[in-house]
Amino acid sequence: MKLTRIGALLAVAVALQFFIGSSPHRSAWPVDFFLLATAVVARGGDFVQAVLVGGAVGMLEDALSHELLGMNAFAKAVLGYLLALLSMRVMFGGPWAVGGALALASLANDLIVAVLAALLLQAPVVLVSRESLWRATATGATGGLLEAARIFPWRQWWEKRQLRRLR
Amino acid sequence: MEVVGPRPRRGGLVLASVLIFCILILSAQVPARSRRGSLLQAWILTAAAPAAVTLSNLSRAITRVFDSGAELLTTRSENSRLKGEIAKKDQELFTLRARVTSEELDKQLLAGASVLPQILTAAPVLLVENRAGLQSAVIGAGSQQGVAVGCPIAVPEGLVGRVVTVGRAIARAQLLIDASSAAGARIVRTGEVGVVRGDGRGRLRLQNIPTTSSVQPGDRIETAGIDGIYPRGVVIGRVEKVSRGSLFLEIGLAPTASFSQLIDVLVLAPSPTSEEAASGGKGAQP
Repeated sequence: MKLTRIGALLAVAVALQFFIGSSPHRSAWPVDFFLLATAVVARGGDFVQAVLVGGAVGMLEDALSHELLGMNAFAKAVLGYLLALLSMRVMFGGPWAVGGALALASLANDLIVAVLAALLLQAPVVLVSRESLWRATATGATGGLLEAARIFPWRQWWEKRQLRRLR
Repeated sequence: MEVVGPRPRRGGLVLASVLIFCILILSAQVPARSRRGSLLQAWILTAAAPAAVTLSNLSRAITRVFDSGAELLTTRSENSRLKGEIAKKDQELFTLRARVTSEELDKQLLAGASVLPQILTAAPVLLVENRAGLQSAVIGAGSQQGVAVGCPIAVPEGLVGRVVTVGRAIARAQLLIDASSAAGARIVRTGEVGVVRGDGRGRLRLQNIPTTSSVQPGDRIETAGIDGIYPRGVVIGRVEKVSRGSLFLEIGLAPTASFSQLIDVLVLAPSPTSEEAASGGKGAQP
């Protein structure tokens, strides 16, 4: 993936995160856009890019939300690598598979951050909460929908629609 | 499923580098268990300790040998000079002690007068993050608006949390429902004082209330003003359920502030104690 595209992707992810985050209805559909951005880069199959983008967006997320810089960076770098591995090593596709993988990745992200927080901050361990399950669902569903939109034959659909109009 | 042939080796190396970088960064920021500094500093100090101690002992031994030789020559005149100096220092110490006592009394009087919450500014909530029990918010006010570390934040319905990092125009706050946050609290009806902690899942717990207490569901809980961070009298929540523990009651609270729908918050002036701690580098850790 080209650097300009990666830059644009990160800018969109940050903008969406703040856009949704500023809304009073932020908990209605709490998508992890930083994870989605990492997954989009990982989908290209470049391990280096996936790890670096995961680390960078994780670091940004940490700067915005956590006492310690590096917990989300650690988690998202690992997830970037795993998602790139998944998309390259295994013939893997379809909205359901992508959605499921992203939902699992979101839960794994929470798990890694919880373990790091417990180890480094002696914070109480909160592995699974209603919010984390809902975020995993929202992130997985959004990722699945994006994948469905990506593989949908838009051109054929448009041509068929035009033909139907002409008849 | 079918296996195809990628080259993840370079990716693996980059991953290892990024993870090591993250671990180093995390270590550099994590306070050591005894709060003596960061873990990285503690590691470096631990590694350097044997050499440092050996060198120091050697240096002291050599100095001591030279000093004892020189002292033999100058002891008498030195002794009379030191006696004179000690007498002068005693007088200075007496004056300084009196001055410190007087200043402490003044400070206590001033602190007592500023118990009521004072609103610094109102700020929009830009982002709310909750992951693995860590709950925080980014607010649209920073040092330009007079926001400082330790400033409590609240909504008209109740207490929300406190500012932990300040930028020029935005600040990051730890929410009261964060799994590691705490505040001194008081049951309004009975006057008993305990500690409110977040559970990381959006609820609160009131701890350290003895089993003899007559607290009951519906009782209002507000800040006690004893923790040096939150001012007295800000509503926290209402008692939801009470059950008996071995020593203390286990009390669940429903926060009055709607944490899932924060739009704007009020930034309150920090308490004098937390201001002192921030300027002196000793962060008050609730």
